[in-house]
Amino acid sequence: MGKSYLGEFEEMVLLTVAHLQSDAYGAAIMEDIQQRTGRMVILSAVHVVLYRLEEKGLVTSTVGGATAERGGRRKRIFTITAYGIHTLAQIRQQREELWQLIPKSIRPSTL
Amino acid sequence: MSRKPPSTLPPKWIDRFLQWRLPEDQFEEVQGDMQELYGKWVNEMGKKKAKWLYFLHAFTFLRFLPKRKPFFKINQYSQANSFHMIANYLKVGFRNVIRQKVYSFINIGGLAIGLACCITIGLYIWDEYQYDRFHTNYRHIYRVVEQQTQAGTLYDVASTPGPLAPALKTDFDEIKQTCRISEAWWAGNLQIGEKIIEPEDILVADNSFFHVFDFKLIEGNPQKVLLNPDEVVISETLAKRFFGADYANAGNILGRQIRLKDGRLLTLAGVAENPPLHSQIQFDALLSCRYDELNSDNYKWNGNNYQTYVLVSQDADVAALNEKLKNYLQKHITLTNATTLSLQPLSAIYLYSDFDFLTDRGKRGNITYVRVFMAVGTIVLLIALFNFINLSTARAMSRAKEVGVRKVIGALRKQLIVQFLSEASSMTVIAVILSLLLLKLFLPILNDIAGKSIAIPFGDAAFVLALLGFTLMVSLLAGIYPALYLSHFKPVKVLKGFQSLQSAQFFRQSLVISQFALSVILITGTIVIYKQLAFMQNKNLGFDKSQLLHVYLPSDLRNKASVIKTDLENLTSIARVASTSGNLVDINQSTTHFAWEAQESGASILITHLNIDPDFLSTTGMTLLAGRNFNPAITTDTSSAYIINETAARQMGWTVDEAIGKKISFWDIEGNVIGVVKDFHFRPMTTAIAPLLFRYWPKESISGLFVKAKANRVKEAISTIAQIHKKYNISTALDYQFVDQMLEKQYRTEQNTAHIVFYFSILAIVVSCLGLFGLATHTAERRTKEIGVRKVLGASVANIILLFSKDFLKLILISFLIASPIAWYAMHRWLQDFAYSINVEWWIFLFTGLLVVTITSLTVSFQAIKAAFVNPVESLRNE
Repeated sequence: MGKSYLGEFEEMVLLTVAHLQSDAYGAAIMEDIQQRTGRMVILSAVHVVLYRLEEKGLVTSTVGGATAERGGRRKRIFTITAYGIHTLAQIRQQREELWQLIPKSIRPSTL
Repeated sequence: MSRKPPSTLPPKWIDRFLQWRLPEDQFEEVQGDMQELYGKWVNEMGKKKAKWLYFLHAFTFLRFLPKRKPFFKINQYSQANSFHMIANYLKVGFRNVIRQKVYSFINIGGLAIGLACCITIGLYIWDEYQYDRFHTNYRHIYRVVEQQTQAGTLYDVASTPGPLAPALKTDFDEIKQTCRISEAWWAGNLQIGEKIIEPEDILVADNSFFHVFDFKLIEGNPQKVLLNPDEVVISETLAKRFFGADYANAGNILGRQIRLKDGRLLTLAGVAENPPLHSQIQFDALLSCRYDELNSDNYKWNGNNYQTYVLVSQDADVAALNEKLKNYLQKHITLTNATTLSLQPLSAIYLYSDFDFLTDRGKRGNITYVRVFMAVGTIVLLIALFNFINLSTARAMSRAKEVGVRKVIGALRKQLIVQFLSEASSMTVIAVILSLLLLKLFLPILNDIAGKSIAIPFGDAAFVLALLGFTLMVSLLAGIYPALYLSHFKPVKVLKGFQSLQSAQFFRQSLVISQFALSVILITGTIVIYKQLAFMQNKNLGFDKSQLLHVYLPSDLRNKASVIKTDLENLTSIARVASTSGNLVDINQSTTHFAWEAQESGASILITHLNIDPDFLSTTGMTLLAGRNFNPAITTDTSSAYIINETAARQMGWTVDEAIGKKISFWDIEGNVIGVVKDFHFRPMTTAIAPLLFRYWPKESISGLFVKAKANRVKEAISTIAQIHKKYNISTALDYQFVDQMLEKQYRTEQNTAHIVFYFSILAIVVSCLGLFGLATHTAERRTKEIGVRKVLGASVANIILLFSKDFLKLILISFLIASPIAWYAMHRWLQDFAYSINVEWWIFLFTGLLVVTITSLTVSFQAIKAAFVNPVESLRNE
């Protein structure tokens, strides 16, 4: 598999999938991002990204249980794959390297 | 996160939008998410805001959505229903039809021909069974018939004495009504004013004619007509001929006087609807039975002149009544011959009548030929079905992989059977549609041959239902074996290519054998029927039928016969003239009132007799074996001299020469045998030559003249005879017939059957050969490589053609061996209906065998030669 490039929003969704674990489905992911970033997230955007990630092999999905809030509809639970974790790690490492290059004078003290 | 159930549901129409927009599997999860969020929004921000957000989020799904991989579709198979599967079967089936044009053509075309034959014959037989069933009471109407034992032989007689009907009605409670009918062949023509018409069928009938049967009166009172002895009822056709097409408005035609030929005046009492086509009783005019009751000599217990029909009550025990009737005649008359009565159902009269002495002369069919046609139709259909089965199984190889793959995916055997059955039935439906088109072609031919007017009854619900049922049945018959066979393949074997297809080989070969066996039977049958026909038509009848005319003399001319005869003899175009009391084709006046010298007690003869004059033998060209002809100069010849035929002499125990001078008594008039004439045929070949006696009683009535025209002057002779006829009788046209044409006419049924069987056996052969061609094509394809290898190794073209044809010829030979004895037996049985028949000779089989071998060789060798000439490079290159 070649290198995959992730967009900013894609990366965010992927990270969310990774930390939500067994609770990672469309609406939950959307709310989580919304809460953490405070920005308006559109559900369709989350779904499209999830499908695209799945296509790239970064996540897999299974059909999960239904709840009353969902009017009896089943959820699709996304799980990050090993390849997904590896990709995230790679991105983080690149960023880290770039961070190290920034002069200490302008680097914020706490991250 | 607080999760409470949503207090209200989101707007439905947005859901509907989502459903439209999203693939089914995505829709479920998206809608779930949306509802979950909506519930939360309602709690946090209120309903109005929530709705707005819901709308906003939903409509952003209008964006481009990534296409999902197939494995993503979780619900695909659980949702497929049988409709989709059948649509798929038909699609695959259709592709197969298109891809294999030759096989499809053979399959569908052959089946269409077979079906067309079958439907044609079905319609014909159905039509034959329609006779007399239009009468409301047909189940309860019977005809009383007699079985007479005369001179040791049992004869069936359809006519009964006149007083029988009224006696039956008084003696039996079960018999509610009776109706007598007799043919008034003597009535001749009818005259109103100056207009003279000679109707074809004049009957004498009771008033009950309009109550027992469903014949209807257009004018006249059905309760009263024909009760008066001098009343007459005419048919609509006749009314139109007399009074014009507008007869109903031509003033009161009832009560008009109609004059019979013998001068009797009748009153027109009614106009009846024309009898339906499917009535064996046909009439143009009806005279009253009352007249006979009061006047006629025929109306007595010892004369059989009427057909007696009885209408029994609905709950009558017919078997018991039949038993009671058996010896009923003895109550009223002392019988000279043992005679019993029995009942014949009205609906059986048309097809099942075989009566002697011309007592049953209405419109008649023949059950034997109905059965023959049934057999022929079934045979052609079977051949077509076998084609279908054969080709379907032979082509199994090309479908085997498909079956394997379908099974691996999870198709059940049941589903595969349904698949192949639905394929077969869709082909059958196409074939049925084609066969209906062919039917348009066949029916006019059949109508022409059989003299019917059958149309395709598309409007008839019964026909449409029968057609549907028939289609279903044929689909099942054609499809079930291929379906079972194809669906039994083991997927592992098939997909690895190990499946042996030999198992169906034997079955297929048996089908080919049966096909050709059936064809051989049909061909042999056709040849034998034509041979027998030719035999009957060309057999030396014992007299010279060429240029021989029979002139029928109406009753008012009979007393002038001798004058007319002299006039005719003077004509240059005429060679000889003789007077006679019967024609030569079917002489039926006979009696047992006959005795001879040294007769053993108990011996009796039913002797046929004919009144002739001395010119008869020379006019008809008969040969005297012994004795002399009648001589007008010898007075005793006109009163006490007889000429008999060989058979009569033999049956009385004399040789031809011994017979001369022997004493015999005919109708108690004693006389001597003065001559013995060589046997000649005076009845159809179905009956043996019977004892016959010529008498020369010039004072007794004769019925006509035999005229021998000079060769090449026949036309001239006819016109001059007509002139002379006119001189003595202005009112009627000359009624003459050529004896050879009359002879030919009596074999019309046989001739029609021969033609129909001939056409169908051609079709049978065509269909069989179509199938064989298909099989040969298939074999050629399968053995391409083998032939290639053989050629490379040095086989010649001839070798390969032989190799190829050998397999097929073997099958044909076996079928021939099976079919020949069956054909021989069947034809032997058929020929037993004829007293004079051909032998089923060995060369007929040889000829049939050669014919079939030639036709099949031509069919097969086309493919064989094609296969043999293929360059081995072509066939072996792509391995």
